[in-house]
Amino acid sequence: MKISTEWLGEYVEIRESPQKLKDDLSMIGLLVEAVEEGESTSVLEVEVTSNRPDCLSHIGVAREVAALYRRPLRHPEKRETLRIEPDRIPYAIEVRDAGLCPRYTALVMDGIRVGESPGWMQKRLRAAGMRPLNNIVDITNYVLLEMGHPLHAFDYDILRGGKIVVSKARQGDRMATLDGIRRELDAEMLLINDAEGPVAIAGVMGGLESEISPTTTRVLLESAYFRPDSIRRTSKKLGLSTESSYRFERGADWDITVAALARVCRLVEDLAGGRIAGSMRDVYPKTMEPVRISLRKQSAAALIGVPMEREFIESTLCRLNFRLEESGPDSWNVTCPTYRADMELEADLIEEIARFYGYQNIPATLPPNRNMGRPSPVSRLENALRDILVGLGFHEAVNLSFADESDAEEFGTGQDERIGVRNPLTEDMKYMRTDLAPGLVRAAKRNFNYGRRTVRLFEIGKVYRAGPDGIPEERNILGILGTGGFTERNWKLPDAGFDFFHMKGVLETLLEGIRLRRCAIEPAGAVRWLNPAEAAALKIEDATCGLMGSLSAALEEKYKLRQPVYLAEIEFGALSGNAFEEIHFRSLPKYPFAERDLSIVVGRDLAWRKIQTCIADLDIAELASVALVDIYEGKKIPSGKLSMTLRLTFRDREKTLTVDRVQDFVDTVLSSLHKTYGAELRSL
Amino acid sequence: MPRSIEELKERFEREFASISGMEAWKSVRDTFLARDSGIITAEMKKLRELPKEERPAFGQAINRLRSTIENRLQERHDELKKAALAGLQSRLDVTRPGFPYALGSAHPIKRLQAEIERIFVNLGFEVFDLTEIEGDYYNFEALNMPRNHPARDAQDTFYFDDTLLLRTHCTSVDVHAMEGRKPPIRAVTTGKVYRRDPFDATHSPMFYQVDVVVIDEGITMGDMKGMLEVFLKQLFHPGIKMRLRPGFFPFVEPGAEVDISCIFCNGAGCPTCKHSGWIEILGAGMCHPKVLRMSGIDDSRYSGFAWGMGIDRVPMLKYGVEDIRLLFDNDLRFLEQF
Repeated sequence: MKISTEWLGEYVEIRESPQKLKDDLSMIGLLVEAVEEGESTSVLEVEVTSNRPDCLSHIGVAREVAALYRRPLRHPEKRETLRIEPDRIPYAIEVRDAGLCPRYTALVMDGIRVGESPGWMQKRLRAAGMRPLNNIVDITNYVLLEMGHPLHAFDYDILRGGKIVVSKARQGDRMATLDGIRRELDAEMLLINDAEGPVAIAGVMGGLESEISPTTTRVLLESAYFRPDSIRRTSKKLGLSTESSYRFERGADWDITVAALARVCRLVEDLAGGRIAGSMRDVYPKTMEPVRISLRKQSAAALIGVPMEREFIESTLCRLNFRLEESGPDSWNVTCPTYRADMELEADLIEEIARFYGYQNIPATLPPNRNMGRPSPVSRLENALRDILVGLGFHEAVNLSFADESDAEEFGTGQDERIGVRNPLTEDMKYMRTDLAPGLVRAAKRNFNYGRRTVRLFEIGKVYRAGPDGIPEERNILGILGTGGFTERNWKLPDAGFDFFHMKGVLETLLEGIRLRRCAIEPAGAVRWLNPAEAAALKIEDATCGLMGSLSAALEEKYKLRQPVYLAEIEFGALSGNAFEEIHFRSLPKYPFAERDLSIVVGRDLAWRKIQTCIADLDIAELASVALVDIYEGKKIPSGKLSMTLRLTFRDREKTLTVDRVQDFVDTVLSSLHKTYGAELRSL
Repeated sequence: MPRSIEELKERFEREFASISGMEAWKSVRDTFLARDSGIITAEMKKLRELPKEERPAFGQAINRLRSTIENRLQERHDELKKAALAGLQSRLDVTRPGFPYALGSAHPIKRLQAEIERIFVNLGFEVFDLTEIEGDYYNFEALNMPRNHPARDAQDTFYFDDTLLLRTHCTSVDVHAMEGRKPPIRAVTTGKVYRRDPFDATHSPMFYQVDVVVIDEGITMGDMKGMLEVFLKQLFHPGIKMRLRPGFFPFVEPGAEVDISCIFCNGAGCPTCKHSGWIEILGAGMCHPKVLRMSGIDDSRYSGFAWGMGIDRVPMLKYGVEDIRLLFDNDLRFLEQF
């Protein structure tokens, strides 16, 4: 809302600079976003919150200024009587839907000379951001900006049957509005009709046909009160928001219709030569009552947190035009001004008191704490995972939660279960994502485009799917992507490419870091987006809770990645119950361990897991660990075979191991591997 | 003295002079003194081949030479050892780059999200995990925004159907925390929220918020101010100033807009704060009696406050990130800076 300080000064004396006014108004809740210099006036850009339609006018703002600086408010002059006997022009107002139009006030004027409005008025309209059109339209706009009440002027001679009928539209009604657009109306919309059809959309916009033209000499002036919900619905449905609808949908003042009409009447008489030709009709079948609220001094003090003086409460509310009657010691029945559409409860009055007490004057206190802080289990896990991944050199990504049509097809993990947004912002945001992998792959691609070839990213976020009963389910997922070098190129170590086992190592480190020991990484079945030769699943007791591997050749091709990309997706939400296993301390061993390296030659298809199991089945209590420390294929190894070097660590917690015992263990391991898998000791 | 002894001595002196380090020292020692193959041992063996009368003189000469060599070598050994202890051996080029261990980075929003949760846990708050797909009731109705409420305009919403939507704020934590619980309540939630705003430098259809609610007997606006101050000072800087202005949010009454002193100019006025010295940072207020009642809290006995803040604004303010889109671009050149 643009407020001209020159215009404002007509209703309340202003001694403050525009800057001071800006600061002071902002501190009572009328945020002034900017002060601009207009034609011989300063213009305040006031952001009026949706609960304060009463401030959408110069008088509205003047009321606040007057209350703030304790100065009198000056109202504009208006014509006192709106009657002539007898009517020169007969006309009738019929309100068929008093529910949506509780009050309709009108009169007819003749002798109008349509022309330009005077310079002072044009200047003020321009300062407030409105374009002057002609004196009649300008006057209705002027009063709107002055008093905040929307008015409308019809060309009386266009109205058929000299009659206004306020009723809901019939389905299929159409009408051209002032902006020249033909609009389809529906049966919920309130219309202003003449005897034959619609002439305006009530409270939103007038009709093109009945608009004021240069030849208009007789006008019907409307000053009505329409129900906020109805106007809002119509405005939304038509996608048409006007100065009028903006005010009606927030709540206009039903008690001002006559005064606003009188003001318009006075201005039309003075500036356009009009005379009343049809006395005022005020169709107001059911008197509306101002809001009454009971207020206790104690409630105000308790909510604001400072002791309140009676005197302060009374004087503040009175300055804001509330009427107070004492209803007991330190309590009142408060009658609210009819323009305060936001008043409903005691708390609303307390806000008025606090506003004028000054939020800045309320001392800051801290309430006693009677609660115990509790982090969320999901956040706890998330933070642990994040810390580890950051330490391992991964950067955290955040992608939008939306997905493209093609994502489900390409990544193929939830096409049937995906959830569609009814009103997406763009085509590529039609669905909620079902996976993190597509976003990470695109992020990697984007970084490739910037010339980076080593990319390590992770994302912790939700994916969304329709559950079995159609109700959306959200799952917490960790997605990891690694590609390019394992380290930055350096002089210490030869360049090694990030590969499957680097990614697997990352997952193993994460599992160790969150103390989840019951988790195994197994070969995975077919996964659409993963290369079938390099796909694994993360399992807890046969339940898959994650996948990892290299991106399928098809997707690598589609995104033109030109290098292998490794991915993992873990549903860590499902892990939270199993993570952070209790720590059980074992006393440190008193006797030294013995280490033996065993190089064996086995068939190249023999899975490491089988070797592990075979050794574990021997149940050698003294065997503390078996590590795979080298794999060799090539010279001296028969084709179709490879050599593995196992590092066996033995320890007896009770006594020192002898060389002979250790050798016995090694022989047992070797002979078992030989018997089961034909493993041979590698000859050097 | 036989010529060979003189030659040996000269040879020793030559080789001795070229000893530059312990390795070289060892090799000279072994050349001359090794028990089986050293030159001295070899010469001693020659002794038996000499005529009897020459033996004593030669023997003495050899022994003298040996003790000279032993002494000289011992001295040199001590020198070398001293030098080694003093660190005077050939130096490592310590200016070469160290091994490039990779260090990643937490996303600036997520790092702040975790930090904010930590601050509130320390203040006695329970962190709620809420879904982003929310019912209209929790996002709007129960927060005093019935259908057709004008305040819904400011929050253009993504819908799935007539009742399910993507939450437009985290304020539904107020309702979830109150439902089925008795005060005292201190609840916080953080996470993604969505509004149907096209991307530009300051708008994104997805962004992050934190919302908190406190309900107990006797909670006042002063308490709200105090807790806000604690939070904002911990999050930004203990030196920042805060101010409250009246504001409007349908779920609170009285409502407040909260400004902090501009962290760029310290309140002096700069383009970031539009020369006002203040930056609008969050919305707050005392829980609306209707909201309390709708969620089963006796508003005649309890009062409370709630506030909500955009987390994305914080890195924009704290680190000077000028475009919100950078936060969701996942450009390593951006991420690596945090």
